[in-house]
Amino acid sequence: MKRRTFLQLGTIIAASAVLDGCRSKNEQLIPYLIPPDEGVTPGKGTYYASSCNACPAGCGILVRVSEGRAKKIEGNPDHPINRGKLCARGQAIVQELYHPDRVPHPLKRNGPRGSGAFTRISWQEGIGLLADKLKALQREQNTNGLALLTPHLRGTLAELTSRFMRTFGSTNHVSYELLTPDLLRAAARRSFGHPSLPYYDIAETRYLLSFGADFVENHLSPVKYGSAFGQMRQGRDTVRGHFTYVGGRMSLTAASADRWMPAKPGSEGALALGMARLILAESLYDSGALAANGLEAKKLLAALDRYDLPRVTQLSGLPQGAIAEVAREFASTRPALALAGEMVAFQSNGPESVRAVHLLNLLVGSLNRPGGIYPDAGFPSGPENSFAELLALIETMHGGNVKVAMIHGDPLYSVPPATGFHDALAKVPFIVSFSSLLDDTALHADLVLPDHAALESWGDVIPVAGTREPVVGLMQPVVEPLFDTRQFPEVLLATAHELGGRMAAALPDESYLELLKGAIRKQAGLEAGVDFEATWVDLLQHGGSFKGKSSKLTGYRWGSDAPPPLPEDPDFAGDPKTYPFHLIVYPSTAFYDGRGAPYPWLQQLPDPMTTVVWGSWVEINPETAAELGIGFGDLVEVTSPQGTLRLPAVVYPGIRPDMVAVPLGQGHGGMGRYAQGQGVNPLALVARQGTKQQPAWNATRVRITRISGKGELVTAGHPQGSLRSELVEI
Amino acid sequence: MEKMTSQYRWGMVVDLDRCTGCGACVVACQAENNVAICGKKEISEGRNMHWLRIERFWVGKYPDVRARFLPVLCQHCQDAPCEPVCPVYASYHNPDGLNGQVYNRCVGTRYCGNNCPYAVRVFNFYNHEWPKPLDNQLSPDMTVRTRGVMEKCTFCVQRIRRAKEDAKSENRAIRDGEIQPACAQTCPTDALVFGNMADPRSRVAILSRSPRRFRLLEHLGTHPSIYYLKGGGREHV
Repeated sequence: MKRRTFLQLGTIIAASAVLDGCRSKNEQLIPYLIPPDEGVTPGKGTYYASSCNACPAGCGILVRVSEGRAKKIEGNPDHPINRGKLCARGQAIVQELYHPDRVPHPLKRNGPRGSGAFTRISWQEGIGLLADKLKALQREQNTNGLALLTPHLRGTLAELTSRFMRTFGSTNHVSYELLTPDLLRAAARRSFGHPSLPYYDIAETRYLLSFGADFVENHLSPVKYGSAFGQMRQGRDTVRGHFTYVGGRMSLTAASADRWMPAKPGSEGALALGMARLILAESLYDSGALAANGLEAKKLLAALDRYDLPRVTQLSGLPQGAIAEVAREFASTRPALALAGEMVAFQSNGPESVRAVHLLNLLVGSLNRPGGIYPDAGFPSGPENSFAELLALIETMHGGNVKVAMIHGDPLYSVPPATGFHDALAKVPFIVSFSSLLDDTALHADLVLPDHAALESWGDVIPVAGTREPVVGLMQPVVEPLFDTRQFPEVLLATAHELGGRMAAALPDESYLELLKGAIRKQAGLEAGVDFEATWVDLLQHGGSFKGKSSKLTGYRWGSDAPPPLPEDPDFAGDPKTYPFHLIVYPSTAFYDGRGAPYPWLQQLPDPMTTVVWGSWVEINPETAAELGIGFGDLVEVTSPQGTLRLPAVVYPGIRPDMVAVPLGQGHGGMGRYAQGQGVNPLALVARQGTKQQPAWNATRVRITRISGKGELVTAGHPQGSLRSELVEI
Repeated sequence: MEKMTSQYRWGMVVDLDRCTGCGACVVACQAENNVAICGKKEISEGRNMHWLRIERFWVGKYPDVRARFLPVLCQHCQDAPCEPVCPVYASYHNPDGLNGQVYNRCVGTRYCGNNCPYAVRVFNFYNHEWPKPLDNQLSPDMTVRTRGVMEKCTFCVQRIRRAKEDAKSENRAIRDGEIQPACAQTCPTDALVFGNMADPRSRVAILSRSPRRFRLLEHLGTHPSIYYLKGGGREHV
């Protein structure tokens, strides 16, 4: 032992003898003051695996439950979509369960529609009322008088609802969501012959080119692709993937890009084709890939003749040099990946523009390759134009042919009034809502049969996208139901039972759980004699079945009869002189299409780009704002051919001067104390494009007028950031 | 005042090249730590209770404009300006390098908050409510703070305690990655990494030696436990 070590040891021993185990000066100075656990008693929690249904991505969750109450939602590390990660919206669904304004029992309307005057009734009475109406339809031989409107359903619930409607004899079953990826499916069908959504291998790519695909906040599977984006940037030792974003508004996703290209709205497809033409003309394409897809460079070049650089420059409003540079970078960096998202699809020429982006992927050989795109196996064939179905239903309702409408979700909020849905629904004599909060639709309903919260429900959750293997997530109740509510499928089963006859025979299951277990059992394909209970418990513990067989999809191949994508010039509602600005409505990071609005955590979450809390706003370019005399937080009036809204202005450096943007998600007439009366619903401004049966939510023009300096805008941070950016070296 | 009386020195690395500013960490923190729900009025007074915020900076002008995100939470400074000013030792330094706050000792002078250059301490100017049955979501691990108390990020000390107990019962040291504060656990892009800085082989220590590292307001000499890694992009490569 060295002399120094000996002395040190000696000192320590002496000190411990004197100080009786005290370890640091802090504790000598303030003995007793520091409680042993800093006032913290770590309790033991139980974790239950379930699935999130806050958006179609279908992430796996673990819910921490202690003392019989759900406390905290975390990502399920075993789930192939989110791998233990979770977004803000997913974590907030615990507030759906414990929302103070939940509908605690069935309600019957006893005042004018929309007044919110309801009386409490029992479940027996509620289901009896519904069954009576349905029986009347059966007696009148008018079974088509029943309509069912739901969000896009997948798995057992989808099957149950369609069996219910089919057996009843009604064809009026419409699944509708505002932000549905239908158009992406339709485009894939046209290019590749099957409607599978793309799966992006972002993690392995070296050059990411996004055309309006906001994969960080809402595009298809945000947690999955957010995670892949982190990998792409810093997950590999020597490669940092490059990211270019094309779109007139700098979205949250675009904020992470290395290069932002603010193209004119509706010009994205032409821009992609301009790049494709340049890649072909300069022979930068992957000739093997072209041959494998049965395409000829010469023919293709001739087909894209119109998209020469000067014309594309003029159409997109971007510098010519930048377009050429990005095209060359995209073609010369392998693997490269191009995405097309909702901001492109919801233009009048959306589907063809999406196909133009498919062509870019094909040219650089990124189809079915690591770092490229694959057909997604999550839910390979889904609806391709549910908007047309919705329009047909609206027509039927207008004609007074719908007598009973059963509605899950809040279409009075999420269907743009320009479709005529609001007037049409008013003509339906009996509306049943299954909402767990009194949202706009429930307020207009005659009967409210409240659904369970997600954390009280059984179910299977099939992710819409984000996986190359089939994934079935399971939802299980993690707590006892809080109120006298019933799960939507249970109500359908009970109603079928009440109706008797064919309905009861077609839907014989006692409970939804039984039906679900049967479906899962079938999927598992167990041999006879194997105990299913053990498998079932195992599946519940892990949150679902993630070992699905590899996708049978062969991969994307350009269809032999697929024409080259040729997007027409974009078409906008409203004349440019009266309405000088393009209106962009985009899903807000916190609320998605409005489903997140009732949860106070999300209301309080500052919008990442503007830091606005508890409200809506309209984003205006600083130059435009100065011209119009609009300051940060001023109240402005936005007028479109369809409607007028008043809301505060945010002077936003990341938007084209000829564009304004309003986030979706606020402006609910109901939905509980936290959502009601916060902000405005920009869908009131969206106009329709003639008779086109295509959702073009971003093809409306507006004008803007300053009203006053009192916009009552509240931001959590200083508009420029609270710390001086040069000081924090950012 | 670095005293290595513990084998742990908790620290964090925030990779700004991964961070997309999505806000998942903000909600995770609020859910884990019973952080109060603040209404519009309270936030308009600058009294938001979030322990973790994401600063957004606009750099440049249209069309060459960029938005940069910076998650700011308590930096757990080794020379913390908030500690020496507390008259009642509510703000103190624990042996693991955490900058602790003892709520039932706090008398609400707000000296610590005023002295914090990062503005990450939040004061309960009001009593906050969780209208029934929303109160069911409150975590029993954490005290619910009342009016007049200063509160702040603890690196989820309740999770650290739990891991320490587990490790002690198995007679081992805490493994790298065993503890994750709620923010780091949920971060979709893995931008937040937490761990033991005293272990040179831990993931967080390795990352903190990156050439992209910097610390927030480093010139103030507070020696934060959080390292930021600069974002990439053309102007930074």
